[in-house]
Amino acid sequence: MDWLIEFLPSSVERVNVWIGALCTFAIYSILYRENPFYRFFEHMYIGLAAGYALGPYLVDVLYRYWWEPIRTEGIWWLVFVVPFGMYLYFIYSERYGWISRIVIGALIGAYSGLAFQMFSSRYLPQLHSALTKPLWFPPNATGEIFLSNIFNNWIFLIILISVMVYFTFSFEHRGAVKRTAILGRWFLMIGLGAMFGNTVMARMALLIGRVYYLLDSWLMFRVGGG
Amino acid sequence: MEARSIWERMMQIDRRILYAILAVNIVAALMARVAIEPDIPPPVKRFYDTIEALQPGDMVMVSSTWSAGTLAENQPQFEAVLKHLMRKRVRFTIISFAPPARDISHRLARRLTEDFGYVEGKDWAHFGYAPDIIIAVKGMSEDIVQAIRQDVRRVPIAELEVMKGVKSLKDYKLVVDVTPSDTLTYWISYRPPNLKILYCPTSVMAAEAYTFLDSGQILGMITGAKGAYEYERLLGIVGLGTRFINAIQFSHALIIVFILLGNFAMFMQRRTSAS
Amino acid sequence: MLFDTTQLVVALLWIAGAFALAIALIPLLGTLPPRGRFALISFVTFIAGLFFAAEFFLPVGEDNKNILTDPFQKMQGSLQVITALSLGLGTYGLVRMHLRNAIQRRPQWGYSLVLLVAFVVMAFFSVWNTMAEKGLFGLKRTPLLENAFTLLFDYTLIQLDATMFSLIAFYIFSAAYRAFRIRSIEASILMFTAMLVMIGIVPLGKLISDSIGLPAVQTAEMRTNPFMLENILYNLRLPQIASWIQETLNAPVQRAIEFGVGIGALAMAIRLWLSLERGIN
Repeated sequence: MDWLIEFLPSSVERVNVWIGALCTFAIYSILYRENPFYRFFEHMYIGLAAGYALGPYLVDVLYRYWWEPIRTEGIWWLVFVVPFGMYLYFIYSERYGWISRIVIGALIGAYSGLAFQMFSSRYLPQLHSALTKPLWFPPNATGEIFLSNIFNNWIFLIILISVMVYFTFSFEHRGAVKRTAILGRWFLMIGLGAMFGNTVMARMALLIGRVYYLLDSWLMFRVGGG
Repeated sequence: MEARSIWERMMQIDRRILYAILAVNIVAALMARVAIEPDIPPPVKRFYDTIEALQPGDMVMVSSTWSAGTLAENQPQFEAVLKHLMRKRVRFTIISFAPPARDISHRLARRLTEDFGYVEGKDWAHFGYAPDIIIAVKGMSEDIVQAIRQDVRRVPIAELEVMKGVKSLKDYKLVVDVTPSDTLTYWISYRPPNLKILYCPTSVMAAEAYTFLDSGQILGMITGAKGAYEYERLLGIVGLGTRFINAIQFSHALIIVFILLGNFAMFMQRRTSAS
Repeated sequence: MLFDTTQLVVALLWIAGAFALAIALIPLLGTLPPRGRFALISFVTFIAGLFFAAEFFLPVGEDNKNILTDPFQKMQGSLQVITALSLGLGTYGLVRMHLRNAIQRRPQWGYSLVLLVAFVVMAFFSVWNTMAEKGLFGLKRTPLLENAFTLLFDYTLIQLDATMFSLIAFYIFSAAYRAFRIRSIEASILMFTAMLVMIGIVPLGKLISDSIGLPAVQTAEMRTNPFMLENILYNLRLPQIASWIQETLNAPVQRAIEFGVGIGALAMAIRLWLSLERGIN
């Protein structure tokens, strides 16, 4: 009886939890079949998500990085950023649509220029790591490298080369190259299998989080390990 | 009309029955409260050891880009990381690169820090939302005051007690990236070279990160809710990771059984048709 | 106070002037012929790219800065603003489309109305909440704001968002049963790897390995003698197999993909920077 009294939406917090549960069941109703209940909540969700973003955009970004420096520090050149940045919105105009590409071009140019630093910081260390893997015990071995490490390094290199050969489309795969590419495809399947296994875990965890909310917060059952 | 064989009926089972089986499995696993000790994988151990090696007063950046869509995977990680940092009496700042992540991480951090007596502005701070991670990381690598300007409560960065002696990311010991998206590659690409990275991805992103673990570009990784569970075991705490792990492993077992069942039904159906 | 008001008026005048200039430029830009437009866009793209490329490549002094480091620091705020405006484009497009649906009473316009109402209500409380958090314009966190924002954000938006993403779990389960078939060597490799990883990464894998009597711990002797029976049995544990698959088999695959993507991305970046890509400009 106590549980029932606590369960019912008799306080502001409980009403909120009930609304959360209602939202959850509304979305899950699509699993049975398409229905207006689901559509209503789906559209409400999109509206809420789009509306919420305005707060951070306007206050955390526009106010912090544009309005305040102009107003309090007198950085006057900043005034041109928003009017000319809003040229982006001409993308919806048939006549002046090309004007938006000036700003888009600037953004594309900027990110293209940044790609050099990304290439150097992201890929070169990986290349270095691949090229410096010990393939036999070094002369001054201190006992920290084991046969299993050497074995794994060889496998690493074989897989790396065969998968890279598989992805090389500049020439036709024939003979030994073709066999290497087939081997690369099989190894690729291993990588995809590992990704699939992890993806399943991710999706299941998201569902488990929802079920946990319904059982723990809404129905107030103490569930879960620990 | 030819009657459908049992194998055909098995292969064409109504998907709503499958959904119900999955839901029952998860509810049952959550109610079961079975405890199985995990094997702690090396990336999780290295994650724990890296934070454990921090000294009181060290500075850590927590990059929190997750929102409600990946709540069940990232929230356990975020909570466990913050608890570990506070246990080590380390200063930390949080920054978000997605709009909902800003409020989610700020509200959660405010709740968690109360238990450890951490004061916002003095022991920790939230830098709010920055839409462009590349510009933010590059900017913070040189000068955080110019890059961030003020925290989420509009207090100028230079006036925050937590930022005493900290001018840029070069003065940070570590960045912990809790994310469902590809923010890690931007941290790796644009951070100061001496800044270490720990990674808390959703499980979807984990497989791609092993190459960064191998090259040493990230020092440790906890993968989704399961990783959070292993991390919680090392910390000796009970969090959401511990609550979810049973359901995770039994849902995996269920999927494996059903994949094998589906293939068995296909094999038997082919045999029946052939004969 | 007077100084504040003067500053405010000056700031507003500057902004008005900037908007006026931006608007006045539009008919002027409209007079450009197509080749002129392409030239202008290519020029802006090139200069923007050149700035960041040069900022990376130019040598740095003792203070770890070059001549472009300080200009970048000053400019970064404006880049954040432009990024926010570009992200706002999506919101604008969405609202525009549904407003049109509602005004023109297109099919299912009722749902568009629901979306617009939710948008306006949430935008109002989100902006109010963010401003109250910062104490802007004297706004404070009132009980109405707290309750309304908590309801809309914590108990509606978050619940809906989390539930939407959790639907995929059902679809993955259904697809795994109905569609995951062993029809080729590649499919078999993928499936068995996935199953090994799925069971090996969770504690159940450890439990199964322990229950069939496989050694639980790898000693130093086992490491130095890899062909010892105990070491072989230890490495047959499901968690060890899953770990080995991810670290030794999966990592080089991901690295090979990274290299391919990296080289492709750099080549594409150079093409975009030099406006060699057709269809962009």
